[in-house]
Amino acid sequence: MVTVEADVANGLPSFTVVGMPDAAVSEARERVRAAIRNSGFEFPLRRVVVNLAPAERRKEGTGFDLAIALGVLRATGQLTRDPEALCLAELALDGTLRPVRGVMARVRRAAVAGVSTAFVAQANAAEGAALGAETYGFTSLRDVVEHVEGRVRQAPSPPPPPATRPPHAVDLADIAGHETPKRALEVAAAGGHSLLFVGPPGTGKTLLARAIASLLPAFDPDEAIVASAVHSVAGLIDPERPLLGARPFRAPHHTASHLALVGGGSPPRPGEVSLAHGGALFLDELAEFSPSVLDTLREPLEEGAVTLSRAGTTATYPARFTLVAAMNPCPCGHAGDPAEQCTCLPDAVDRYHARLSGPLLDRIDLRVHVPRIAYEELREDGRESSRTVRERVIAARDRMSARLAGTGRTCNAELSVAEVRRHCRLAREAETLAAEAMRGRRLSARGFHRVLRVARTIADLGASDEIRTSDLAFALMLRAQA
Amino acid sequence: MIRVEPSDPDYPSRLRDLTHPPDPLWIDGDETALVARSVAIVGTRRMTGYGERVAREIAGWCAAAKVVVVSGFAQGIDSAAHRGALDGGGRTIAVLGEGITLFLATVRGRRPLVPRIRAGGALVSQYPPSFCAQPWAFAKRNTTIAALAEAVVVIEAGEGSGALITAGEARRLGRPVFAVPGPLGSVASAGTNALIASGEARALVSAAALLHGLGLRGPAAVASPADPILDALSGGDLDADALRRRLGVTEVELADQLMRLTLAAQVTQTLDGRYRRR
Repeated sequence: MVTVEADVANGLPSFTVVGMPDAAVSEARERVRAAIRNSGFEFPLRRVVVNLAPAERRKEGTGFDLAIALGVLRATGQLTRDPEALCLAELALDGTLRPVRGVMARVRRAAVAGVSTAFVAQANAAEGAALGAETYGFTSLRDVVEHVEGRVRQAPSPPPPPATRPPHAVDLADIAGHETPKRALEVAAAGGHSLLFVGPPGTGKTLLARAIASLLPAFDPDEAIVASAVHSVAGLIDPERPLLGARPFRAPHHTASHLALVGGGSPPRPGEVSLAHGGALFLDELAEFSPSVLDTLREPLEEGAVTLSRAGTTATYPARFTLVAAMNPCPCGHAGDPAEQCTCLPDAVDRYHARLSGPLLDRIDLRVHVPRIAYEELREDGRESSRTVRERVIAARDRMSARLAGTGRTCNAELSVAEVRRHCRLAREAETLAAEAMRGRRLSARGFHRVLRVARTIADLGASDEIRTSDLAFALMLRAQA
Repeated sequence: MIRVEPSDPDYPSRLRDLTHPPDPLWIDGDETALVARSVAIVGTRRMTGYGERVAREIAGWCAAAKVVVVSGFAQGIDSAAHRGALDGGGRTIAVLGEGITLFLATVRGRRPLVPRIRAGGALVSQYPPSFCAQPWAFAKRNTTIAALAEAVVVIEAGEGSGALITAGEARRLGRPVFAVPGPLGSVASAGTNALIASGEARALVSAAALLHGLGLRGPAAVASPADPILDALSGGDLDADALRRRLGVTEVELADQLMRLTLAAQVTQTLDGRYRRR
């Protein structure tokens, strides 16, 4: 929270903004001066000093315009009452209020600090109202003054209509064959486990990955606010319907830089991992991403958040997402393809896979081969629709959130080690298999815990309290060993 | 590293059969391996899963019969043969097409095999230690492999594969040549199938025939697995869905059986998530 103070004193006419303003904030002087004059007020021909407190923090963006203008008007007596609200809007030269980015995140922060009223531009009003804050949307500086003076009171903006789930682009019923990849997708959607599809080009890896959007359950209101706030900071929300209707599905191109992926810049803006918070992040052609960019994914995958530190500012954005990735089995793409012969040398294939570092692969719980499918399978009927699978996913998620109630976490991929020990109880025969698997496959303790989390999800999908042998065997099968 | 010339008593005598024996020959490792009973196992660099399994199995039989496996340490079949011999507790000789010092400085993916090969066998080259790889050098190296071994097995070779040079030279030297039959239409087996069709090589269907030619005893036939999954995988790698369709079992049954086989080290998973018979 930044407090704007203004002082008008005798002296040569000047207008200074102090308190570490950046270029956009310094330029506010010209906008404020013009907006005040063009709104029918008088800009004082005296010495005007505006202070943005706390002074040691760097101030960025154009959202201070309204507060500075109101401060100047209050100091010159043209406004006789304090606004007592979060004032957040950019001014046009004619005094019109313009929307700014990140209103949702700031209104939320202000509400925590005890300021539950917000004055914003009309186009931003829905964002504040969606949070339940008393938000007023104004069209001009004049309207704000009239409202504060109590001459023409405006009504607070009504909460926007609840977001509706948009129709999803891909339904599981559209995809022929691929039973195991579909099961893996269901497990990933239910437990939030990361998933890698490997297969020749044109076999439907991308289509499968996109289908995860249709399997994820709807947002609960709190999650929707957190995710929407991140999108608001990035300026990516629909002003009419600021709350996200469906869980996000983000698919950055493989030329993405690490700034684009995890966020950055000054001021730090959220990256794709944060925009995918609560939903899925899809990395197509995983091996084509620059290895250093992929390695930056390790922190968000582990922590569920990204902290960006830049000169003078630090920002933490949430980043709990389900990673879905796809890649070819080799540089030419045809290894294991019955339709076409692979032309790669074995060393080239090894190098291709070595582009994914061990630590990243270790964090991928499910690795599934997507084969080219036969013509007979294309015609096969009786495919499950996304709706049927989603109902199973929702039932499994209900079991998970009941188990994790009060921890702030919602799915099995986020179970801590202690919780794995407590909740992932193995049936007696499954114990034997687990012991053998640890020995025979040389699983690390971390790898074993990841298998247990996946097995827990598979048991949840089967509505079982105990992890049965078949659940564990399936989890081990889906986690291809490297 | 030692350097021997054809006039030296230590020179591997079988190499003297060549019209132009390598002069000199550099040996890095245990030079007694060069005069032991030996079989060359060669093939294409672009091997299939089938070729890899067969190369490993044949090298394993040789290792069990205390026969040294000679190969060229290239990618693909050559490396699979070296690895199979070492995993079977045997000795193996890698005949390089470049200088030994240069090779050791530049090898990347196969580096872990180097100390294991040197432990009981040797790296061998007919080129000076810092000689840089040249295309013609590999062709000459292939004739050295043929001369160094008592018999040659070609696992998989495409048309014009260097392994066919080894086979041709072995025939000229009067050494028995075996080729492993492969699926018709497979590029990797075109050369070996042609060798069998023309009568230049005998089809290798059991270890016994190979080892019998050396006066040794071996297993009678390639063991045909009783397990339906292993049987289905003998033609190449398959993914879970393909296995399930072929065997007509449920997902749960398949996961259970695959896990059993994986734990028994009879099946492994490839990097792309398919299953491979070991």
